[in-house]
Amino acid sequence: MDALIAKADAIQPLQKKRKTYHTSAPSSSKTKSPSKNADPTLSTIAKRTSIPKSLQDSRPLPEDVPTYKHIANKKLRTHLSRQSEQGARAKALVEDAEMLLMDEAGGLEVEDEMDRTWRVGQTDVVQNSGQEAGKGRREFKLDGGPYRSRYTRNGRHLAIVGRMGHVSTFDWQSGTVHAELQLEETCRDITFLQDHSFFAATRLEFLPYHWLLASVGNPGYLKYQDTSTGQLIAEHRTKLGACNAMTQNLHNAVIHLGHQNGCITLWTPNLPHPAVQLLAHMGPVVSLSVDPSEGGRYMASAGRDGTVKVWDCRNWKGAVREWTVRGGGDPEVEWSQRGYLAVASSGNVNIYHPPSIHTPFHIRTPPPLYMTHPIPHRPLTSVRFAPFQDVLTVGHAAGLSSILVPGSGEPNFDSREADPYENKKARSEREVKALLDKIQPDLITLDPELIGTLAPVSKLTTEVTPVIDAKGKTTPRTEVPYARLPRIDRLREREKRRMRGKGKSMKRYLRKQRKNVIDPAAVNRRSEKAGKTREEKKRAAAIAAAGGQEEKKKPSALDRFKRSK
Amino acid sequence: MKISVLQHDPAAHLPMRHGDPTPVSRNLNPLMHPFSRARERTRALNAAKMDRMFAKPFVAALEGHIDAVEVLCRQPGSLTSLASGSWDGGIILHNLSTRKQITSIPQAHKGKVSGLCFSPDEGKRLLSCGVDRNIKLWAVSDDNTTPEVPLSVFPGKAAFNSIDHHRTESLFATASNTVQIWDETKSASISNLTFPTSTETITSVRFNMSESSVLASIGTDRTFTLYDIRTGKAERRVVMQMRSNALSWSPTFPTTVLLASEDHNLYTFDIRHLDSPTQVYKAHVAAVMSCDWSPTGLEFVSGGWDRTVRIWQEGKGRQPEVYHTKRMQRVTSSVFSADARFVMSSSDDGNVRIWKAKASDKLGVVTARERAAMEYREKLKDRWRVDSEIDRVARTRHLPKSVHQTSKLKTAMLEARRVKEERRRKHTRVGESKPKPEKKKLVIAEQS
Repeated sequence: MDALIAKADAIQPLQKKRKTYHTSAPSSSKTKSPSKNADPTLSTIAKRTSIPKSLQDSRPLPEDVPTYKHIANKKLRTHLSRQSEQGARAKALVEDAEMLLMDEAGGLEVEDEMDRTWRVGQTDVVQNSGQEAGKGRREFKLDGGPYRSRYTRNGRHLAIVGRMGHVSTFDWQSGTVHAELQLEETCRDITFLQDHSFFAATRLEFLPYHWLLASVGNPGYLKYQDTSTGQLIAEHRTKLGACNAMTQNLHNAVIHLGHQNGCITLWTPNLPHPAVQLLAHMGPVVSLSVDPSEGGRYMASAGRDGTVKVWDCRNWKGAVREWTVRGGGDPEVEWSQRGYLAVASSGNVNIYHPPSIHTPFHIRTPPPLYMTHPIPHRPLTSVRFAPFQDVLTVGHAAGLSSILVPGSGEPNFDSREADPYENKKARSEREVKALLDKIQPDLITLDPELIGTLAPVSKLTTEVTPVIDAKGKTTPRTEVPYARLPRIDRLREREKRRMRGKGKSMKRYLRKQRKNVIDPAAVNRRSEKAGKTREEKKRAAAIAAAGGQEEKKKPSALDRFKRSK
Repeated sequence: MKISVLQHDPAAHLPMRHGDPTPVSRNLNPLMHPFSRARERTRALNAAKMDRMFAKPFVAALEGHIDAVEVLCRQPGSLTSLASGSWDGGIILHNLSTRKQITSIPQAHKGKVSGLCFSPDEGKRLLSCGVDRNIKLWAVSDDNTTPEVPLSVFPGKAAFNSIDHHRTESLFATASNTVQIWDETKSASISNLTFPTSTETITSVRFNMSESSVLASIGTDRTFTLYDIRTGKAERRVVMQMRSNALSWSPTFPTTVLLASEDHNLYTFDIRHLDSPTQVYKAHVAAVMSCDWSPTGLEFVSGGWDRTVRIWQEGKGRQPEVYHTKRMQRVTSSVFSADARFVMSSSDDGNVRIWKAKASDKLGVVTARERAAMEYREKLKDRWRVDSEIDRVARTRHLPKSVHQTSKLKTAMLEARRVKEERRRKHTRVGESKPKPEKKKLVIAEQS
């Protein structure tokens, strides 16, 4: 019978010990004999169920992949280690994919030590650039007051607005005009919505991933409007009067406002008060911009007091760098995709390059100049870098002029986010996809990585005070989650947490009164405790003086009543 | 001075000819993809919601029986044929795709048909057994003719409860007061298999599919017994706390067997270690009456006295997919289809119902893009399962009020039992009694 069962391999005799899989085979003479402990069922199945060799990843795993050896549960351990392995491989593959990027960024490179990049003028740049790139240098002569402009996210379309109400949107490369309007009222700013066919004019910002239009006007109310549903999501009263400077941080969708009293405030739709408020300038703040190249880490602000300040958004303790611009007028600031900073003031546009913009420097001098371009039509009202191009458009009293700034534009775009070459179908598809992926406004926080991280440990724990052993080592008690507690303990816990009767008006009143009252019982207790510690200290000092040996007490008859420790 | 200005080559980004797809360029720099995590979460939430929106699992109900349907059996080698036997003694062979009857035998047995199985030769012959102490062999064909008389009749001494055919040979086993092995060509049973001390009634018997001489049975004495027809003996017997109602061998893991128990749970056993089950499957709120593995061996279906059909993942003992309708009564039998895409259930109301194995599955042609999108959604859901909102959407099922109330009651009772046990332990001497793991509670004795 046993032979038959052994042949069948499925059932084994009951009295036999369980198989152990980890025994080593010391006998080397029998090389080919199949191991007694191998699971025959498993070995027959394994052949068919493993991944074929051609599909297996033969490359060694990258280093410092986290292991989960401490986890006892086998299933969970395997799952977690497989996940981390996949993650590590994917990370390595992303690094490989950087080789596939096609275009290279532009730039100015000095060959001679005495050469300076800022000596290069626009004529030189246009002469030395390709024919297509040279088209970026343009002058638009327009009536109707100082102009402001805005590019779409893919850098293909430009919207311009004059102070007197002339609005126009067009494809600036092909020159196709999409819309041209005379609004016949004062216009302060313009912005595109999800694509070039929608735009809005006043002081506003569009949050593309949340489909929110944030606007602020002279009364100082910041309003968030959902452009997909038309609802007003939130309305915050800034209490700081009219607001002239507004920008968004692309990486966390926080709105930065600059106010008349020199304050800068950061807003999310979820907080009724600013998330951050700082006094940045001596006069009104006139322009703000957030650096997109560093993940929204740095912010530049310009005030009517003629200073430009660069701030670290993670640490608001003073500006990282600040300097004064020459000439009067309101300076305008703008960061490019690759972190170049353009500052327009009086009759000049100065461009600075990273990393010297945000390296801390104690003297109030501007960072080394990268390029400069004079524009004779004051005032210069807006500076905008074109995404994915080396182009900077400056709005001024006589229209707009765009200049070439080599190195400012990101060379490689991603078709899934913003594609300058997208056709009509791709645009409509992207719009639908973007609507499906619309992020809810309540997910806007200062830290964009909050989603997907572990929640902080609950404050409602049942952890008892940590155990301190003889060596003075503290070990936290193993914490039992509330749900796993025995019912009786749970009831006790609940009773402890219950706040019944604390909110009664009399109690509340008494509590308020108690704040400044010296309670004699508490004073007694405190003094008692202090006396005890003093005594203890004294005793310790005496022991130390006696050479570390405790003074031996004489045995007393009353010792028998002492409580044993 | 070296001056270079960024210039995109339109030829690289525009289609070469009219009608070509537009080239896609990627930049995987995370700074180019703000809010990627938040957007992915939104997508995962949408995926979970879409999954629930498209969850329409009921496909069809097949009528024909006058009384409750007792047993279902799918035809080997066919995706569409399914035989059902009823309490009225009738047998119907259904075509699942056209939802018509291929063959109907109205008075196959006197009393209920308790077991059905096909012989392995392309499913041309159907064996049925009944409480009228007869086994009948029928010839079934696709040409819609009703056989008047069976090919042969095997008379037995006691009412039969179950029948199963050997995988390759012309042997079959029946369950009555003993397990009997029959040959199709012989009119009397060729051997009787029984555990030496057993006096029970065997309720179900099944041959192992890969180790084809091994068969297992369950009995009213709360037992599970393993036999080998080469030795003609019962090899091993396990006595459990409560009796099992159905058993099924895993098609991919030959040593794994699934038992549907009267105590509302299902258990998988590794027959090499019968001292405790490998997994307990808990969700039914009444006795589980039937179970069947998917041909992939990754999931299985169970039908219960609580009027629900549940689909379980192998190794995941909680939160199965649950199907129910207003008119479905106690589920007596449930089988997976041979392509693992459908589930068939039969119930006391006399209908055979067809369900999708995956509730939100799309029937019909699925394009490659659609398939890719589905797989992506599946992966997203899996990845964001830890998010409470997504998990809530994915997990929530509407249950009939009776089932919901019963499950609440059951939870309360189990909780009370646990608390009581805890208190009892608290008031006994330290170390005197240890809590027994759920898995160890099931098996009372293992005999050989």
